[in-house]
Formats: sequence, structure tokens, C-alpha cells
Amino acid sequence: MIINIVFIIFIGLAGGIAVGSGFVAFLTVLGVIPRLTQLSKTMKMIHWYEGSVVFGAVAGTIASLRDPALFLPSIILIPLGLAGGVFVGLLAAALTEVLNVFPILAKRVRIEDKIMILMMAFVFGKIFGSLFHWMYFVNE
Amino acid sequence: MGVNVVENTIYIRMRHRLQVRPHDSIKLQDVAQIIAEDSLLEKVKECIVYTVSEKDQNIIILDVMKVIPILTNVVEQINIEIIGQTQTIVEVVYKKIGVSIPLFILIWLLLFFGAALAIMNFHEDVSMQAVHQRIYKIITGKENIKPLIFQIPYSIGLGLGMILFFNHVFKKRLNEEPSPLEVEMFNYQQDLDRYVIINENEESMKRIHHDH
Repeated sequence: MIINIVFIIFIGLAGGIAVGSGFVAFLTVLGVIPRLTQLSKTMKMIHWYEGSVVFGAVAGTIASLRDPALFLPSIILIPLGLAGGVFVGLLAAALTEVLNVFPILAKRVRIEDKIMILMMAFVFGKIFGSLFHWMYFVNE
Repeated sequence: MGVNVVENTIYIRMRHRLQVRPHDSIKLQDVAQIIAEDSLLEKVKECIVYTVSEKDQNIIILDVMKVIPILTNVVEQINIEIIGQTQTIVEVVYKKIGVSIPLFILIWLLLFFGAALAIMNFHEDVSMQAVHQRIYKIITGKENIKPLIFQIPYSIGLGLGMILFFNHVFKKRLNEEPSPLEVEMFNYQQDLDRYVIINENEESMKRIHHDH
């Protein structure tokens, strides 16, 4: 019996370590945090940002495994949604950049100077697609 | 004699990239930065190193090994010191091809709808709707099938995040550092340059024929 419990704790811990390190590896490869510190010139605070990511991941894990209800006014969801959206936007932009889509495309069609307008097509496409998805596409 | 050697020393640094028109003559001062004693400089800087002809394609690699014999022909007993890279990429610019507007609009729309479809697929793939409903329940304690109060700010934030990453609000940049996109464009150009330096330069590869 005790062996069973110890074994299950061990497996849970191992799974958590695997997923957690995978999450950190993903963020590291995409370089979202360095990008934010570079923009805000807050390199010295990087340990706090690490802490923030770890704390956020743990809070998200608890919130999804347990079933808490905080009974707060729904207005709080606006900044939360905005923050979540910015984060996903950063990930999407970083992923596009890793895949090297824009330099090759711009070179092919000789529009190195208009690349920002193409970027905007991408950004507006994301916003449009996302709004369309939530407002018309899902019907549950 | 020792003084003489120093007097005849010429320092050459090949430029990285040079744009010329067809039938241009490329002078030494176009293709390289030169440091030499004034009288020597006058003699060499107008030397024609290469003349662009019909049979050249749009990229020519000028190797310093082709420049040295020309200099030694003009000035005897010259001491040439080469600093930095040993070749220049000469780009022959034919009639400037403008961007065709319909093609540009087509690509713009392609990216727009492609991005829209990709984000919808992503949301379905990671069950974003269920997660948003769950977040709504955690915060307010109530069920909501369409938590638009969360999802509309999320959608706007998505665009803001991408702009933040690329450091541009339309034409206006947030600070002077190059954006990752500009660095990426630069890296891509460097890779292309390295490729043409090796592959378009007939001096850099030699094949010894054994067949008779």
C-alpha cells in the first residue's frame, strides 16, 4: 500500500518535471522573455520574470486540477484576457520568426521595404480570425 | 631602400557590396577602401579593375587576386597589404523592377486569411474555448458558454503581442534596437552572400581534370 502511494507520488513528480522543463525549453527557444526585457531595458529583473513564469504555471496547474471559484466581478476578465492574448501573440510572432517566413517571402517578391505592411496583414489576420472564431464560429 | 618599401605600401580593404549598372567600369576606389601615400594613391585609385559586360549575370565576385596583378602592372615594386575580406560582391542592377501592386495585394490577402485560418485552427487544436469557459467559471463562479468579455480583449491582445515582438507600431518603432525581423533579414542576406562568394567565384574552386 505504502509502496503504491510512494510510486504514484514518484510518477506524478516525474511527469511534472518532464512537462515543466518542456514548457521552459519551449519559452527559451522562442525567446519571448529576453525580447520583453530587451524592449523594456530591464535585464536585471530577469530572475523576477523567471519567478513570474514559474508561479503562473503552478497557479494555472492548481486552477485546472482543482476546481476553484473565486466569485469575482466579471470585469476582471478584461485585463486577464488582454494579458493572455498578448502572451499568445508574442508566442505566435516568435514562432513565425523562428520559421524564417518573412525574410524569404520578402526576398522572393522584392518588397524588403514594404515588409512591415505584410506584417500588418499577419497581425490583422490574427485579430480577425480570433474574433471571428469566438463570435461566429463556435456554437456550443 | 627600407624607406622606399614603406613609401610604396598600399593598404586595401575590399568593400562588402557594390552596385553597378551594366557596361560600367569598376575603378579600384569603387571596389576598395585604399590607404596609400598621396602620389601613389593618385596613380592607382582610377585604375579600372573590371568592366561589366553583357555576358555577366547579375552577380560578379571580384576577388582581390584579380586586383593585385592590375596594381602591380601600374606601379612597379608595390607592396600591397590586404586588410579584411578578400572579395567584393558586385551586383549588376538592370532596369529597376518595381513591385507590382496586384501581386502585393494578393500576398497581403494571402497572409491575412492564412493568419486568420491558422489562429482558428490553433484555438480548436488546444481547446481554447473550453479553457476560456473554465477561466470564466473560476473567476466569476458562473457558467458562460460564450465568455466574450474574456475573448474580445484576448483577440486584441493577440495583435498587440505580435506588434510588441516585432517592435513596430506601424511605421513608428518603440526603441532604436533593430527588431528580430530586421536581424533575421540581415542574417538571411549574409547567408546568401556567403553562398555567392563561394559558388560564383571561379577562383575559389578548382577541379583538376584527369580525363583526356
